[in-house]
Amino acid sequence: MPAGDAFTPDQLYDIERAVRHAETVSGLHFSVYVGGADSETRPFAIELLNELPDPDRSVLVYVDPAGRRLEIVTGPLARRQLSDTAAGLAALGMQTSFATGDLAGGLVTGVQQLGSHARQAPMLHANQPHQQ
Amino acid sequence: MTPLLSGHTLLVFVGIPALVIAVVALLVFASSIASGPRYRPGLSWWAPPVWIGGPEPLKPNPANLPELPAGDNSATASTGVARTTGGASASW
Repeated sequence: MPAGDAFTPDQLYDIERAVRHAETVSGLHFSVYVGGADSETRPFAIELLNELPDPDRSVLVYVDPAGRRLEIVTGPLARRQLSDTAAGLAALGMQTSFATGDLAGGLVTGVQQLGSHARQAPMLHANQPHQQ
Repeated sequence: MTPLLSGHTLLVFVGIPALVIAVVALLVFASSIASGPRYRPGLSWWAPPVWIGGPEPLKPNPANLPELPAGDNSATASTGVARTTGGASASW
């Protein structure tokens, strides 16, 4: 891995794959930001969320490795699918991995968990109306 | 009469053990050398920001982001939908 990069190409691939999978199963947009914040982490993470194309239906996972802070921010509409309790459970798992120095593993597991919590049950009666 | 420390003796009793130690050390540290610097909680962070699934491939500089207006966390959109963000926080 080139000096100074946070993740190896394999780790990046795994995180991106987890993000795509979470988006597929939930219909929400997922984004992961790893880096420092100049200000408080929560407002900074909200500002990052607002930078996304559709912030209302987006979930941002913000990790500050230097400050050892994790923020999961859900947009107003995404919050209906992904409750704060579910986000807290995913944050707990990520927190454990980060504490052991496993940033990539924690992100992959956490994003997968967020995606499965936000999974939408198929509305068969709406998609395939009963034929008389 | 042979000298006490000949070249052959040095090779057998110093060179070969040193070579074995070097090989074992290389095997032990090979994976960490190949994977580069590892994140260690509590120590400084060296890498530039990474944004996966961000608005553009460019990695943003936190210094260039605009200031967050006060009360943005609970603002109300023009559509009437409460723009209250949710989520969770943690530290380690």
